[in-house]
Amino acid sequence: MDIATTTLSGVPLVEVSGEIDHASSEPFERSISAVLAEDDRIVLIDVSEVTYLDSGGISVLVTAVRRVRHSGWVGVVGANPNVKRLIEIVGLSVDHGLRMFPDRTAAVEAVDGFSSE
Amino acid sequence: MSPQESSPRRRFSVKAESSELTLVRRFVEEEAARAGLQEPRVFDLKVAVSEACANAVEHSGENPGPLEIISLRTHEHLTFQILDTGDFRVPEANVNLRRESRGLGLPLMVALMDEVNISRLQGGGTKVTLSVSLRSNSGAVRAR
Repeated sequence: MDIATTTLSGVPLVEVSGEIDHASSEPFERSISAVLAEDDRIVLIDVSEVTYLDSGGISVLVTAVRRVRHSGWVGVVGANPNVKRLIEIVGLSVDHGLRMFPDRTAAVEAVDGFSSE
Repeated sequence: MSPQESSPRRRFSVKAESSELTLVRRFVEEEAARAGLQEPRVFDLKVAVSEACANAVEHSGENPGPLEIISLRTHEHLTFQILDTGDFRVPEANVNLRRESRGLGLPLMVALMDEVNISRLQGGGTKVTLSVSLRSNSGAVRAR
């Protein structure tokens, strides 16, 4: 697993690639905590280069959703069909604190729309 | 001879450490390819076997013992057995769990596999058996 952090349209963006399992979940969680400021309402996680995800990665997403869901959401960007299906199976995709986007363009539209709400 | 004994059977052994999970998934990929399985079933098997191994790693303690993964192929099923030397832990009983969703492993195995079996081994240890049908390549569960 490799991780880079940046910002997109004014919100933190975590770019993660490779396999997210029980061995890599801790560094993944640390990197999200590091970019997520106390008053941030949105965090974007680009998973388009993630080839594998299990409950090790799901638990990190759940933790992130819990942090922001009272006032915002976690945006998961570019999930491949397997990753998307796993997020759906555990019921995270129906939580109002998590949104799925096919690409960054769609994510930016939602971020800009949310900011002007 | 039982059908299983006469069929392809492979054994893969690692230390019960989470850093070994990647190697376990490469073994699962190879075996799934040999059995002619395609996505998304290959992914389902990787998740289920990884979850079973991660569970074993979690209760292996400070001196991790061996973790054995055996693949068995019949005409109808591809099966993985995960054998460890620990005891299957009841998630709710562990007050030290850091993450709330840690108990997702077993539900995921059940959701993704056609058959899941957990048994205690004589002399200590746990055997998790995970099986997928080779007759249909469709997923076992529909997403919500």
